[in-house]
Amino acid sequence: MRRTHKMRLVAGLAAVGLATAACGEPPGEGNGGSGSSDTDFVGCMVTDEGGPDDKSFNETSWKGLQDAAAEGISAKPRLAESNAASDYEPNVDQMVKADCGLIVTVGFLLADATKAAAEANPEEKFAIVDYLYTDKSGKPTPIDNVKPLVFNTHEAAFLAGYLAAAQTKTNKVATWGGAKIPTVTIFMDGFYDGVQHYNKTKNKNVQVLGWNKKTQDGQFVGNFNNSNKAKQISENLLNDGADIMMPVAGPIGEAAAVAAKEQGDVSIIWVDSDGYEALPKYKDIILTSVIKGMDVAVKNAAAETAEGNFSNEPFVGTLENKGVSLAPYHDFDSKVSDETKKEIDDLTQQIIAGDLKVESDAAF
Amino acid sequence: MTDQDKRPDTETRQDGDDSGAVTTTDQKPDAGKPAQDEPSIGQRFLRELTTGSTALTILSVVLALLIGAILIVVSDPDVHAAASYFFSRPGDTFAAMWTSASEAYAAMFSGAIIDFDEYTVGRALRPFADSLTYATPLIAAGLAVALAFRTGLLNIGAQGQLILGAILAGYIGFAIDLPPVVHVVVAMLAGFVGGAIWGGIAGFIKATRGAHEVIVTIMLNYIALFLLAYLLTTDPFQREGEDLPRSPFMLPTAELWRPIEGSRLNLGLVFALLAAVYTWWLLNRSTMGFRFKAVGFNPHAATTAGISVGRSYTTVMFICGGLAGIAGATQVMGTSLHLHGAIAEQLGFDAITVALLGRSSPIGTVLAAILFGALRAGATTMQAQTQTPIDIVLVVQALIVLFIAAPPLVRAVFRIKVRATRPVAPGSGGLA
Amino acid sequence: MKLELRGITKRFGSLVANDHIDLVIEPGEIHCLLGENGAGKSTMMNLIYGLLEPDEGEIFVDDKPLKCNSPSDAMAAGIGMVHQHFMLVPVFTVAENVMLGAEPVRNGGLLDLDAARKRVRQISERFGFDVDPDAVVETLPVGVQQRVEIIKALVRDARVLILDEPTAVLTPQETDELIEIMRQLKANGTSIVFITHKLREVRAVADRITVLRLGKIVGEADPSASEAELASMMVGRSVTLAVDKEPPKTGDVVLDVQGLTVVDERDQVVVDDVSFDVRAGEVLAIAGVQGNGQTEVTEAILGLQSKATGSVRLDGKELIGRSVRQVLRSGVGFVPEDRKVDGLVGDFSVADNLVLDLHDQPPFASGPIFKPAAVQSNATERIAEFDIRTGSAATPAKTLSGGNQQKVVIARELSRPLRLLIAAQPTRGLDVGSIEFVHKRIIAERDKGTAVLIVSTELDEVNALADRVLVMYRGKVVGIVPGDTDRDVLGLMMAGVPPQEADKQAEEHPTLIEHAEALLTKQDEDQK
Repeated sequence: MRRTHKMRLVAGLAAVGLATAACGEPPGEGNGGSGSSDTDFVGCMVTDEGGPDDKSFNETSWKGLQDAAAEGISAKPRLAESNAASDYEPNVDQMVKADCGLIVTVGFLLADATKAAAEANPEEKFAIVDYLYTDKSGKPTPIDNVKPLVFNTHEAAFLAGYLAAAQTKTNKVATWGGAKIPTVTIFMDGFYDGVQHYNKTKNKNVQVLGWNKKTQDGQFVGNFNNSNKAKQISENLLNDGADIMMPVAGPIGEAAAVAAKEQGDVSIIWVDSDGYEALPKYKDIILTSVIKGMDVAVKNAAAETAEGNFSNEPFVGTLENKGVSLAPYHDFDSKVSDETKKEIDDLTQQIIAGDLKVESDAAF
Repeated sequence: MTDQDKRPDTETRQDGDDSGAVTTTDQKPDAGKPAQDEPSIGQRFLRELTTGSTALTILSVVLALLIGAILIVVSDPDVHAAASYFFSRPGDTFAAMWTSASEAYAAMFSGAIIDFDEYTVGRALRPFADSLTYATPLIAAGLAVALAFRTGLLNIGAQGQLILGAILAGYIGFAIDLPPVVHVVVAMLAGFVGGAIWGGIAGFIKATRGAHEVIVTIMLNYIALFLLAYLLTTDPFQREGEDLPRSPFMLPTAELWRPIEGSRLNLGLVFALLAAVYTWWLLNRSTMGFRFKAVGFNPHAATTAGISVGRSYTTVMFICGGLAGIAGATQVMGTSLHLHGAIAEQLGFDAITVALLGRSSPIGTVLAAILFGALRAGATTMQAQTQTPIDIVLVVQALIVLFIAAPPLVRAVFRIKVRATRPVAPGSGGLA
Repeated sequence: MKLELRGITKRFGSLVANDHIDLVIEPGEIHCLLGENGAGKSTMMNLIYGLLEPDEGEIFVDDKPLKCNSPSDAMAAGIGMVHQHFMLVPVFTVAENVMLGAEPVRNGGLLDLDAARKRVRQISERFGFDVDPDAVVETLPVGVQQRVEIIKALVRDARVLILDEPTAVLTPQETDELIEIMRQLKANGTSIVFITHKLREVRAVADRITVLRLGKIVGEADPSASEAELASMMVGRSVTLAVDKEPPKTGDVVLDVQGLTVVDERDQVVVDDVSFDVRAGEVLAIAGVQGNGQTEVTEAILGLQSKATGSVRLDGKELIGRSVRQVLRSGVGFVPEDRKVDGLVGDFSVADNLVLDLHDQPPFASGPIFKPAAVQSNATERIAEFDIRTGSAATPAKTLSGGNQQKVVIARELSRPLRLLIAAQPTRGLDVGSIEFVHKRIIAERDKGTAVLIVSTELDEVNALADRVLVMYRGKVVGIVPGDTDRDVLGLMMAGVPPQEADKQAEEHPTLIEHAEALLTKQDEDQK
């Protein structure tokens, strides 16, 4: 339904655009384009069913290519959105045909299609977001022309967990996931550890609802599109007493914000992008966000490739390389004590320096 | 009532001394079975479906494509650019509009039927092979909906049935070692059985408890979806060494043969077409199909003639589920080659559209599935070549359904004259 | 008020339902519209009542053209209609039903139920309707419900009242009361259009008779015309109204029903301890007003009623608890009451309908394989044998006329060896020609030694066919009487009066129709 809605929006806006802006000057003859780029390099992207407006990893990754275009690294980027799993292969194949400089595929769902296309077209360069090819024992099995872009989001999520523990008034914080996959549970692991770290150093007993790192067991919707169930899970966790919640579920994470607003006195920690900007309707309850810099990673991969420096070396986003980070507190800035702010800054430095080890089974 | 119901028959005019006696509503103030005088919504819909004209279907498709073209035009940034100086040079805007729509549809054509840019016939026709690949599961799942329609049931559960088929076929395909050929046959059979059980449950509940099949099948869809999601979190359904919700690949013996190098077109199409032939035979040349249709058109008369309506419901849903299960099997064994959470895509729901478009006949369903397959195959090319949003195709598909389901709208748009029929008082008949 | 139709034409496709109809309804007359089913009577009335629009011609009320696009326009013009099927809300009271659609309101938009009650009482008293405004409609007998419909029309100041087949649902005694009401209304200046196909009633009540055939007015008749004259005008040829039949040659008991009780879905007892038997070679007719359990008796025998207890034996074998299929296989033929709902699959071809309950038997099937060729050749035979008028065997059954549809059902049921034939309302809605045919086939089946059980609400039919008559009232057997029992006696029994009592009452108070009949018969004889 979301798609249809988007279409209506597109059509509607376009109609308005056509009607209101009809009095401009025509371009002069032969004066080509807007001059945004002179480069031949084209960055291309294939998304999964979420599409480039999923307020989540597809959208953030796509922003990377758009930024690349804006900075003159790439010509106008090409996008192929998938409506279904069986579109992955044709979409990747279409991009191969379309003379792309770099084809970025988003998500593990596209891993098989990307691998097949990469092996069939050794000259073509690929990057895949959120996926690292490994063998059965978990050892990386790099492909010559595919660059994995992965993120140790647990590092930033650790900070979020610590912050949540410091801010909670009920001594209960919560997290839940869309589906139980590593790219989701890595957030939850970090969040869990951050809370535990707070408990240890402050001798407190803040509980984490919705996830237990030791048993790797928690609350999941089971997919990334059932927002009713997402809301139900959120409500249950809030009813159990949590007053800060981190949904790790892409677009349906919004259900947590809806439930939080209804409950009142609850704040949300957003993930992937800065929720303060992604969800303007709920900005007053966004405590902070765990930012996963897919846009930066994609843009950098495009830049390297455009310069002829493509490598299949995985990019692993960390606090150190700012591939992952904690967003500003925005409206909550005044509500977070200076002490907490300083502790979080210190923790960041300790993690970067390696003095503090943050771990997750799902880390890279 | 449909027009057919309203229109007093003309054949009776051939009668000699009997000719005045046009069918009338009997004088029957029967309190016992009030519902019987009026056909149910389902029955009327069924009638409307099976009697609609081919011309109307084609017009619906054409109209949907036209509206699609408008959407392509208004969503194209080039058109916006030209429109921004519309009053200075209107020609540019129209040129941009024409370019936008024609290029998009040309790309769609080259992605769905023939690619004239290719050098060999084989490669040029590969797009059509892609269309048939997309059509394969739609044929089988469409039949699952169509056959149920013909028995008066709305099978919204093709999605769940398909998932069960995919789970069983997939598991046998990747986890069990069997000799070639046998492996394919056993896995396909497992797909049929998986879907059939899921469909049969819905039919059985309808038959014995009277629960509406729409509700039951929708619920079963959810159960199937979450069952699949759950299974994909368990070790037997995951690849060794990773914790992702996707199964190992089919063993080579269980893969459906792909005759064309570089194309995903596979033996699944043959299975789907066999399913269509079977469905045709069932409906037209079997006593069971005769009973199904009798129950579909008029369960009361069927009951009175000694046909067990309940048994027909259970049996037909079992078969329908099996057909959808085959769709799931072809999907996992022929196209994706592994099981994952979105293996069923929206196929079970598209199947409803396909059955609608195909007027619930096996042949119509095959043709409609190929049309939808072509739309989907063409969409990826259109998107890649012209950056037209792929969603346009979803809108076109949705519009086709809308126009088919609302024939009066199409008639109105194309000014097809319909006799003015006013509803008359219930029970007073058209004329008596 | 004078109502006039000038040159009214209405077409449905190629069928001309009303062909240049000119008709004048004078103030204060009872004008009978006589015609077979399908002659165009109801179409004409729907045109007058604004439910249909004429293709040509105009309607005048008191010489002013009537623009009538909906029933509310018609009502405003003083035209009221009582449909065959009542348009009442069963759970509302009489007063609530009467005011529905024209609710009187007091200040502030409150419903003024008192005003409605008062109006109902007024009208009821004035015409002797005897209707309690506070009675809930569903608890009232059919005849009273009909009066509520009439009150509804009168409350809206109807000056012309159209009654569409009003007697179809009434016992002879109730019919009598209706006729009395019609006369009172007439005396009050209300014009009445009385639509029917029952000749007796026409002769008893009409001031003028207009006969319709095939959408055209074929003539006017005087109420003193004989039944045979009216019938031949209606049908367009001379008809024999009586069925020629020999006295029955009865054999052994074929069907033996003992203590049959049926409970419906709402746990109401609809058949209450019914016992009877039917012998080989005789016709037993179950008479009764619609809805007194007759239908359920036949359905219970066939196995369609799941909550049936008691015993139903066919040649000594118990049928209760068997499936419909088993019952049919044991030699029971069933012509259901509502052929369109229970007898035919309208969208199926005539050929398929002719094998509906035989489709999985040789020669129409071998194993799971259906044999369309055999079905086709069977159809050719049956169509010829039963003179079924159809375009072809492939024509959908729903496009056939009622008579031909019924012939399809009867042809199917008689195409296999039977021990028992059950026919419910076998000629309902049929034209005279088809009635003759159906009656002949039923008697022929009887004479072959089959036990025949008929359910009919038409006393004419009961008299014509039955060797014995079982009358039912409220699920119980009132009595079993000989086939030639007087109509008035049967009528009283249908209202629950026991046989002896009914005999007595009938003699003391003959109904108006019987009375008129007697006079007219005398007249006829005098003329000769």
